[in-house]
Amino acid sequence: MVKANPKIFRQAWQEKLVAYAPYILLSLILIIWPPFMSPYVKSMMIQILIFGIFALSLNIIFGYTGLFSLGHAAFFGVSGYTTAILMTSYGIESFWLVAPAGIIMATLLAAIYGIIALRVSGIYFLFVTLALGELLYGVALRWRTVTGGSNGMPGIPYPTLGLPFTMTATYFYYLVFALFIICAFLIYRLIKSPFGYALQGIREDEHRMKHLGYNTWLYKYLAFIVGGFFAGVAGVLFAPSSSIMVPAHLGALTSTLVMLMVIIGGTKTFFGPVIGAAIVLFLQYYVSLYSPERWPLILGAVFVLSVTFLRQGVGVYVLRLWNRVRYSYGSIKD
Amino acid sequence: MEALKIEGLSKNFGGLQVLKEVSLSVEAGEYVAIIGPNGAGKTTLLNVITGELSATTGRIYIFGQEITTTPTHRRAHIGLARSFQITRLLPSLGVLDNILLSLHGMRPSRFQMFRPITAYNETLAQAQRLLELIDLWEKRDELVQTMSYGEQRKMEIAISLAAEPKLLLLDEPSAGLAVGEIPAFTNMIKSLAKGTAVFFSAHDMDVVFDLAHRVVVLYYGQIIAQGTPKEIQANPTVKEIYLGSEEGTADAGVS
Amino acid sequence: MDVWLLHVLNGISYGMILFLIASGLSLILGVMGILNLAHGALYMLGAYIGLTLASHVRNFWVVALLGGIVIALFGLVLERVFLSRLYRQMNEQALLTLGFVYIIGNVVLWVWGGWLKVGSAPSYLATSIAIGEFSFPLYRFALIFIGLLVAAALYWFQEKTRAGAIVRAGMDDKEMTMGLGINYGLVCSAIFFLGAFLAGCAGFIGLPVIVANWEMGFPMLLMAMIVVVIGGMGKVQGALLGAIIIGIIDNLGKALFPDLAMFTIYLVFIIILLVRPSGLLGRKL
Repeated sequence: MVKANPKIFRQAWQEKLVAYAPYILLSLILIIWPPFMSPYVKSMMIQILIFGIFALSLNIIFGYTGLFSLGHAAFFGVSGYTTAILMTSYGIESFWLVAPAGIIMATLLAAIYGIIALRVSGIYFLFVTLALGELLYGVALRWRTVTGGSNGMPGIPYPTLGLPFTMTATYFYYLVFALFIICAFLIYRLIKSPFGYALQGIREDEHRMKHLGYNTWLYKYLAFIVGGFFAGVAGVLFAPSSSIMVPAHLGALTSTLVMLMVIIGGTKTFFGPVIGAAIVLFLQYYVSLYSPERWPLILGAVFVLSVTFLRQGVGVYVLRLWNRVRYSYGSIKD
Repeated sequence: MEALKIEGLSKNFGGLQVLKEVSLSVEAGEYVAIIGPNGAGKTTLLNVITGELSATTGRIYIFGQEITTTPTHRRAHIGLARSFQITRLLPSLGVLDNILLSLHGMRPSRFQMFRPITAYNETLAQAQRLLELIDLWEKRDELVQTMSYGEQRKMEIAISLAAEPKLLLLDEPSAGLAVGEIPAFTNMIKSLAKGTAVFFSAHDMDVVFDLAHRVVVLYYGQIIAQGTPKEIQANPTVKEIYLGSEEGTADAGVS
Repeated sequence: MDVWLLHVLNGISYGMILFLIASGLSLILGVMGILNLAHGALYMLGAYIGLTLASHVRNFWVVALLGGIVIALFGLVLERVFLSRLYRQMNEQALLTLGFVYIIGNVVLWVWGGWLKVGSAPSYLATSIAIGEFSFPLYRFALIFIGLLVAAALYWFQEKTRAGAIVRAGMDDKEMTMGLGINYGLVCSAIFFLGAFLAGCAGFIGLPVIVANWEMGFPMLLMAMIVVVIGGMGKVQGALLGAIIIGIIDNLGKALFPDLAMFTIYLVFIIILLVRPSGLLGRKL
């Protein structure tokens, strides 16, 4: 039976260690291995971490608050484009300047889009978010002087940190990894906070929440902005990692891709979206070794199967497996 | 100071007038029941008081403050709480989570985005007390959707009382409960809502007699009688409305 | 003056294709509550299947009908095997159809290749008639005629038949309809079949006017969505009005300010969504 997360108020240090073990292990692997990775695997890991942040940000809006948005890539893309423009058109390469700029643009856009989108609900919300995303796609496509039009903005370099070494793929990987850990931590705290619980309450029964004293519109709006903020972080990292920004990164293609990742991984567990991103990107890298042209077909098929049969997403199964392993070592009271 | 005062409240839906010039008041700490046949407008009246529906004409005051056009969530902050006839909990969240959310609804900490909700010891202690009162502390990690109907009904009341409202609206609180469960239920309400003004709609006359200090009778959107339960029971107009005295008073929880 | 008439007529004929697609989308949305994101893909598939059939079957209209039926059957399978499992879960159903967008798009690319495909009108319609100093393809008139015919048929079905009344009732209150003993599942399958049929037909008969490529599905879906919202969900008249309006705006827009045409349409879309979400002719929600 599925239970709510038990409220463990005071845990013995042994129990805490066992609970955190997989994360520690995974983190160690992710920290030690990269210098030995092939460039191919390294770039895949970078993409997984970036899309992990991106998917987590969508899950704030979709999984926790219950807002079905198919325009989330707008924030991701606008951040990426800001980064690209600053770096290639203006030659600004410092991470400390470019990152805040990109993130602020994404957050601002979310603030504007949120006001428009939250005027409607249900299926109309889906329509509006899709349309707003496509609107931005159209802007990127037409505003050739600034965005390079359909050719996009190629040649985006790695940003510099102002430290005495040149940024290589490996160092960039560590930058991405560090930001991933920071974002995951912040989002985790958000989910466990009163605000995060309120979002879930709104998803379950918005009406009831209003009667309990919650200004539900404000919560939805803030969730939208926070989601946009973290999508912006992902976008800032994405631009140099893919070294080119094209209009498709703003539009329905990318919005649906990240939604797919969230669904496959599952919205019910915290790391579900990250697992989903990992699965999709792993698959993509392996499929593109053998038959890259068939990738959308396989992605679509995986998606259809996942929605039909794996209703709660892979993340729930991973969690159950892990719980079974954990409890079989007997130290934790069920 | 009256807990609730309604003046000349009317509500129209298009051409249909559901509430006609309703005026009533509830004193602090008083339990007032509103009864009337199906379709009389009881739930509509409650919905207008909580703000789900807007009044067409008239005014509503809670503890002297006019709230006729205030948004629903702000009415909660003035001290109004409500339970629903059809249980509305947060189904895929746990029992404790539901209570914690209803406690935080009134606090500034509800906008906190960083500190875990479990770090707030005071609310946690409050939640524990409340859950122990309704005998559900053991089941605090169970998802609400796995609870039995009776347990959910208890939760429903507990959630609306969690933030210690000054005025509590109950919509058919005993709806769907078996006859045997009702006395325990009304006792629970009395112990949980001590000192709170309660305004509730009911079909079950046993509940009315057990809880209400005063009764208001609504018929086709208009108040046609007010008084103590005994007075209402003896009122000939009321008896007529309920299609004869015997059936009326024996009416048991049809919603 | 004549050039304006030309643009308007072009817009209306294009709008008829939009109407065929949007009416199906609207029906599916209204009755089943599902946003069929694969509807544009069905349209595209109809174009390609039609093209393949056309090399074996002589008669243009037979091909159109056959192609439509093939797509309709495909849609039926989609609905019965996949969508019906997610009974009442609107979000999941929309997501499911999204998966099929990827699948269908890639299959079309795989089987038919990435080159553009042009279709030709039947020979007796392949001429043009003069409008002022311009010539206007007769086939486009045929499209307008067909569109109006289908609209009339759908309207009659919607308003004058018992089946139509059931469908309308289903839109208003599913529980009641089921309570009246009507097999809701059957209604859903039939509606999906009809919607897919219309989209598939539209794909083929649109070929002489719209060049086919494997990526044309999603943009067409977006246009159809805009039509449904602007015209109003659930009613044939709404889809028709919306389609004509969007068709004309699109054509005039492309002629007058080519860079901003798409922009304008999306802007109008968002404004209508905010100001009057039920659309121009829709039931007030």
